[in-house]
Amino acid sequence: MVVPKVARVRRSGREVQASSAGLRAWARRHAFSLFSSLGNLARHPLGSLMTVGVLAFALAVPLALQIALVNLERIGQQWERLDTLSVFLDLGLVNADVDRLVSRISSWPEVSTVDPISPEQGMDELSRQLGLTEAADLIAENPLPWVLEVSPGTTAGRNVLLARLEQEAKVANVIVDLQWLERLDAMTELLAQFVWLLGLLLALGVAVIIGNTVRLDIQNRREEIEVMALVGATAAFIRRPFLYTGLWYGLLGGLAAWMMVKSGLWLLAEPVSELSQTYAEEFDLLGPSPEVVALVGLGSGLLGLFASWIVVGQHLRQIDP
Amino acid sequence: MITFEHVAKRYPGGIQAVSDVNFHLERGELAFLTGHSGAGKSTLLRLIALLERPSRGQVLFDGRNVSKLARRHIPYLRRRIGVIFQDHRLLTDKRVFDNVALPLMIAGVSFGEIQRRVRAALDKVGLLDKETMYPPMLSGGEQQRVGIARAIIGRPPVVLADEPTGNLDPALSEELMNTFVQLNETGVTVLIASHDLELVRRLGRRVLVLSKGEIIDDVRARIEPRGGGAEGG
Repeated sequence: MVVPKVARVRRSGREVQASSAGLRAWARRHAFSLFSSLGNLARHPLGSLMTVGVLAFALAVPLALQIALVNLERIGQQWERLDTLSVFLDLGLVNADVDRLVSRISSWPEVSTVDPISPEQGMDELSRQLGLTEAADLIAENPLPWVLEVSPGTTAGRNVLLARLEQEAKVANVIVDLQWLERLDAMTELLAQFVWLLGLLLALGVAVIIGNTVRLDIQNRREEIEVMALVGATAAFIRRPFLYTGLWYGLLGGLAAWMMVKSGLWLLAEPVSELSQTYAEEFDLLGPSPEVVALVGLGSGLLGLFASWIVVGQHLRQIDP
Repeated sequence: MITFEHVAKRYPGGIQAVSDVNFHLERGELAFLTGHSGAGKSTLLRLIALLERPSRGQVLFDGRNVSKLARRHIPYLRRRIGVIFQDHRLLTDKRVFDNVALPLMIAGVSFGEIQRRVRAALDKVGLLDKETMYPPMLSGGEQQRVGIARAIIGRPPVVLADEPTGNLDPALSEELMNTFVQLNETGVTVLIASHDLELVRRLGRRVLVLSKGEIIDDVRARIEPRGGGAEGG
């Protein structure tokens, strides 16, 4: 009864020992692959740098466009607060009526400012826009009504204000001029899709670049691979340094792209602040969010890993009997 | 240890390298494989280490049929066979130390152990002072001995050598062969392909003569293999 128990304990003890030794051997093999892949990059610094540079350019383009898009959307949001309602009044109102209306509307909580435009001012503006300085002279009687440019206090209260204005007597109609904002929205939407498409294409490009670099690396080290196979290296062991190489290329390319974009932003900061001052507005460029940076870095790293996986698998099949 | 049963190897393109080979090598035996170039010596050695697969017949290694071995098991078979090539197959951009250490790195041996065993192996082949050199800086005989050190570092039960004395002068060849004899005395099964008939005859060991892909003669050893007596079959 006792003997088998002891035997079992001894056996399990040995197993634990064997598996921990196996784990250590596994860790050593991984460390070997990791260092040999890094050593290989360091042995050809110029070639490695050039590859990383190409990857950085490929990744920096969609990253820069994404930043441009984010900033454009922010500007759009700022402008949305500036939109006004054009309130067209009935024809033939006397100035006193208009004044009374203006002061009444100004007191509404939804309203921020009211700017009355007389028919004469309207005609002036129109003829200036059309380039007809004598337009007023050509038309005997001014056909334009009084117009109130009403700015809503908040964007959310705009629809309430719109309904209230339309119920007002003496108001002919209210025009909400949001068309240009809608156009801007549509444009940024289009640009966003373009950025995605370009990002997808360039991600594919990154995979191809890394795959090709690893392929050349394999060809250069074919002898080494054969010798390793001769002395009993498993396919996984042979594959691993190349997978690490792909991963390093991807990560370094992502890092370099991020640094490129960062320095680009730094260079643009001054002109942007000058430009925003001419618009009398505070605006500075927003950098890439940590999520985007992580996506680019890890994404390109994984792409590199994936690409080299495919290439190495194919070449190992060619070499092995 | 090694048994060939009606083994044939035909390469794609119709070249028949080995047509019908039968022999058995005992554990702890040392044997030579001779024959003209093109007789199939290299192919025979390659079939043992599974660098080639036989087209027909069986190759038994330690009682197991390796002809049908799955690809993922091949590396573990190769770790039990030390192979020495005529062209050395050393990595020219790696130091002698790293070349010899390669099989141990693959096996995941700790660095201290690697250092100890590489030094011991280099000492055995007389190259301890060359460990930081690169293979192209060494002479042909020295490179061959680096190859031997790499082949024996993993303590394989079988060592195969393909024309190890191919490019060496007679004195060096004899010295190298003595290294194999010493190795055999520690119980390692050794099979050496060589066309140096004079040297082979002088050593008085078993000789397999290969011609046109078949074994035409099997000359028994005049000296009893010392390693073989103790271990049996």
